[in-house]
Amino acid sequence: MTGPETAAVRCAGCGRRVKVCAGCEQPGCRNPICDACLRLRLGQSIAQPHPHGG
Amino acid sequence: MSPRAAWRLERLGFGEVYDYTAGKLDWMAAGLPTEGTGAARPRAGDLARGEVPTCALNERLDAVRERVRAGGWEVAVVANEQRVVLGLLRARELDADGDHTVEQAMRPGPSTFRPFVPAEEMARFMTEHGLESAPITTSDGRLVGLLFRQDAVEHAPDEGDRAP
Amino acid sequence: MPTSIDREQLRALRDRDAQLVEVLPASEYEEDHLPGAINIPLRRIDAEATRVLDRGRPVIVYCWDAA
Repeated sequence: MTGPETAAVRCAGCGRRVKVCAGCEQPGCRNPICDACLRLRLGQSIAQPHPHGG
Repeated sequence: MSPRAAWRLERLGFGEVYDYTAGKLDWMAAGLPTEGTGAARPRAGDLARGEVPTCALNERLDAVRERVRAGGWEVAVVANEQRVVLGLLRARELDADGDHTVEQAMRPGPSTFRPFVPAEEMARFMTEHGLESAPITTSDGRLVGLLFRQDAVEHAPDEGDRAP
Repeated sequence: MPTSIDREQLRALRDRDAQLVEVLPASEYEEDHLPGAINIPLRRIDAEATRVLDRGRPVIVYCWDAA
């Protein structure tokens, strides 16, 4: 778990504090992304709320 | 959504109704085929190189390094007998003390990506993050192969190979 | 009561000639759907299910995920 005392960067997608970018794991990443935003961005999970119906 | 649909179908007189709860994401994340307009697009799983060298946690690093580089590779995936990805050995890790085990030297728990992600999306993401390669796994963590950024970019001409 | 199934059970039911129905909107179905699935968006189930589906065969429904 990443606690605020160890967090180094903010996710460029949602602003959540993360220790390191989930995409490249490089401390100097210019576009740090958290794991949740990474999965959403690449379609590996679905944004909630997701519109249902049709 | 699908539970509501299932209940509604039962009410409408359908006697044997099932709900595939994990849904389309689960199916696609397992690397299984789909139909539709998206099925023709190249995806990470299509381009990933399944022949990437793998090694076990308890192997000696010097032996792995020799085997990997003899095959012309600069990266190896650490996996168990079920091909579940446990770590990565990139060039820096391969160059560590040869007396170490793979487990001591590896980069543990690397980010992995699912086989259904479009090549174009992977190219954009890998370029942004300076990733030369990325492990592609199914939802249960099994290795499909290693996707190289160059391969993704070549199948996503609009992306170009921009410097990260 | 509808039965929740996993991927392997889905395959077994397909071997039994089960009907597979994606209940997402048409645009999402058109992009990607499971092989052989038909599309009946949730809001159209009342209008279409009895016309399109066979009551004598099993029916499997799915959407994106469990959410």
